[in-house]
Amino acid sequence: MAIDPKYSELVTNIENGDEDGGIEAAKGLLESGVDPLDIVQDAIMPCLKEIGDRFARMEVFLPEMMLAADVVKGVQDVLRERFSAIEVASEGRVVIGTVFGDIHDIGKNIVAAVLEANGYEVHNLGVNVDPKDFIKKAREVDADLIGLSSLMTTSIPYMRDVIDLVKESEVDRDRFKLIIGGGPVSEETVELTGADGWGENAADAVDAVRALMESG
Amino acid sequence: MENKPDILEILTRTQTGEYCTQKEWDTKRIPGTIRNILKEHDLAGACDPDNPVNTDMELADKFYAAGYQAALELGFHCTDTERIISVTQGELDLAVEAAPSELLVGEGQHATLLKSRTPSDPYPMKTACTLGIAVSEEYWPAMHYLIAREPEVDLLNGGSLITIRGKEVLSSTPIETFMGYEHAQMHKEARRKAGRPGMGAIVSISAVTEYGMLSSYGAKGGYSTKDLALVLFPSEMKIDYRTLHKVVQVHNVGGAMKADSPAMIGGMPGPPEGAVISSIACALLQYTILQPQTGGGEVYDVRTLSNVNREALWAQSLSMQALGRNTHLMTHPCMNQVSGPGTEKLLWEIAASVAVGAVAGGTLSTGPRSAGGKLTDHITPLECRFMSEISHAASGMALEDVNEFVKAALPHYEDTIKEPDLGLPFQKAYNLDTLEPIPEWQAIYHKVKDECIDLGVPLNPW
Ligand code: B12
Repeated sequence: MAIDPKYSELVTNIENGDEDGGIEAAKGLLESGVDPLDIVQDAIMPCLKEIGDRFARMEVFLPEMMLAADVVKGVQDVLRERFSAIEVASEGRVVIGTVFGDIHDIGKNIVAAVLEANGYEVHNLGVNVDPKDFIKKAREVDADLIGLSSLMTTSIPYMRDVIDLVKESEVDRDRFKLIIGGGPVSEETVELTGADGWGENAADAVDAVRALMESG
Repeated sequence: MENKPDILEILTRTQTGEYCTQKEWDTKRIPGTIRNILKEHDLAGACDPDNPVNTDMELADKFYAAGYQAALELGFHCTDTERIISVTQGELDLAVEAAPSELLVGEGQHATLLKSRTPSDPYPMKTACTLGIAVSEEYWPAMHYLIAREPEVDLLNGGSLITIRGKEVLSSTPIETFMGYEHAQMHKEARRKAGRPGMGAIVSISAVTEYGMLSSYGAKGGYSTKDLALVLFPSEMKIDYRTLHKVVQVHNVGGAMKADSPAMIGGMPGPPEGAVISSIACALLQYTILQPQTGGGEVYDVRTLSNVNREALWAQSLSMQALGRNTHLMTHPCMNQVSGPGTEKLLWEIAASVAVGAVAGGTLSTGPRSAGGKLTDHITPLECRFMSEISHAASGMALEDVNEFVKAALPHYEDTIKEPDLGLPFQKAYNLDTLEPIPEWQAIYHKVKDECIDLGVPLNPW
């Protein structure tokens, strides 16, 4: 779908990772009377999708994806500020991180960036994350989903710890869905840990997250 | 006083260096600096996937100059304090000059001499097998005895243990500390039983954090300081306290260190050319900041989860050539295959990728990474033998000849890099009674080896 030329300045700034420029362009659009929801649906969403597709084709790289997502966050804050009554559409809220003992971060960062490009609000906790910190953050931001990454057999038990903490808590059990991924993760790991789902790669991760969100 | 930068002073920069968030480092500093340098040195678009082994030495030197500039502009990012450890040109030059160009690993008649190499250097690139693939405790001893027994394998690295005495090895717990020490005993026993007690070891692949290593390296009854301590740190150019504990321990006990961090094509440095610059910069910086004896120069491709594809082979050839021609550092091309044991494709992936590292000037290669290193027990001694044979045989070849060889090897596996056949685990690819490869696997090895000989790799016929 072609994006209306009136959004071209905003789109260029998202593509270039220029947050200030993106915010200025969004303000300009609001001042000329454009509906904030149209800005989200007709400019931001298709633009992020295009960047995600280019990443899949390796025409742009991880930093461009991460920066584009940052610009969008800044723009959405402006939209929210101006129209607090309007809930800016988000596909869902995800807390993601690499579990304790593990410092592999590239795959997790790719998944985080691709989820953002697909309209999810992502809170990336980094690497070597203590099991309790996942829960703390998920409660704080009222997440829908917790994503756990691990590339090492020696850290997979920490995935199980996070999952157990959620399943054992009456408050959290029905609130947070849990999805896992990383090199050694498979269907078997899902059984072993009690996760709600898993993803083999970034595209898979989006499908799995979507399916879990839909399942309520 | 040794004539090299004071490591203690450099370590204090993790607290005093310029503040920079990790996000800023990952998404702005690294990509921005590399993008500008690519432009300034006119290197964007240099990658030639039709010729996976670069033969233009002027291009290699241009990349070296670009990587050198990137090292001085960037430094390492300490992820614990979010501060940048920058180094001066004087420090970098001094440290690179002070790095050794030779190192004896192990002891006695089975020790291995590592040497700094240039492209097509006749001195062979040495090998350390395997690459931390998870191995069950049950099979670990037999598998490693068999690998140590392979005469062409130079150093014993090894599989990562998932349990110790039946208990899950959980990262950062006392079980890891326990495992670190006990793993050293198992490792020594494998080498002793194979008749190579002085064979050098890489320490300690199972140690996911500093605990597993501090408990075994230089400890009484643990690994010897004649073994090579492994220090891996996060790309791109990031370092953390966990890793620095290992570094300081190696210096404290007067041991030898191999440090590595792969530059990621498709990650923060972007295209293959950006990853070459990042890889050279990272190597120069690690010799200044961590001061290992060996390591550096790896390139990995996040798009193929390997480095056996054309762009990654090209990038790997360039980073080795650039460092080999312009420094006497002892570099480490770590080649990551994707197919599994028992498949012909695995051997072709090994042949192409290891030949590239060897001819381009790598000093030591660790591998193989059968089945991408993803599956427990998916590694056998036979591919360790093949990797080492290729490494030794391809070392003195002409760059042009290896380029032709790789072009002939690629069609054997290129179409399935993204969906590889993961093959068989050790216990199925080997007969555990005779400790020999099953006949099918043996036959595949003979077939691919013969074809490699026909294609000009001077392997000893079997
Ligand atoms: C690069 C690398 C490193 C780099 C990491 C750099 C960085 N910044 O991340 C460095 C050099 C630091 C490193 C260190 C170590 N490593 Co390492 N490393 C790798 C390697 C080669 C590639 C990993 C990678 O980045 N892949 C590229 C990305 C894009 O792929 P990915 O992470 O799998 O992510 C994809 C999917 O899995 C999925 N995904 C990932 N996360 C998530 C999360 C969710 C929610 C979902 C849905 C999906 C999903 O989507 C991603 C995109 O497609 C792997 C080998 C392998 N095949 O995985 C070994 C590997 C993971 N490492 C291994 C080891 C042993 C180590 C060390 C312990 C070695 C040592 N003794 O020092 C240390 C560990 C330090 C620590 N405490 O963590 C072993 C682990 C074995 C085991 N026990 O299970 C492996 C498997 C190597 C091997 N055996 O061949 N390593």
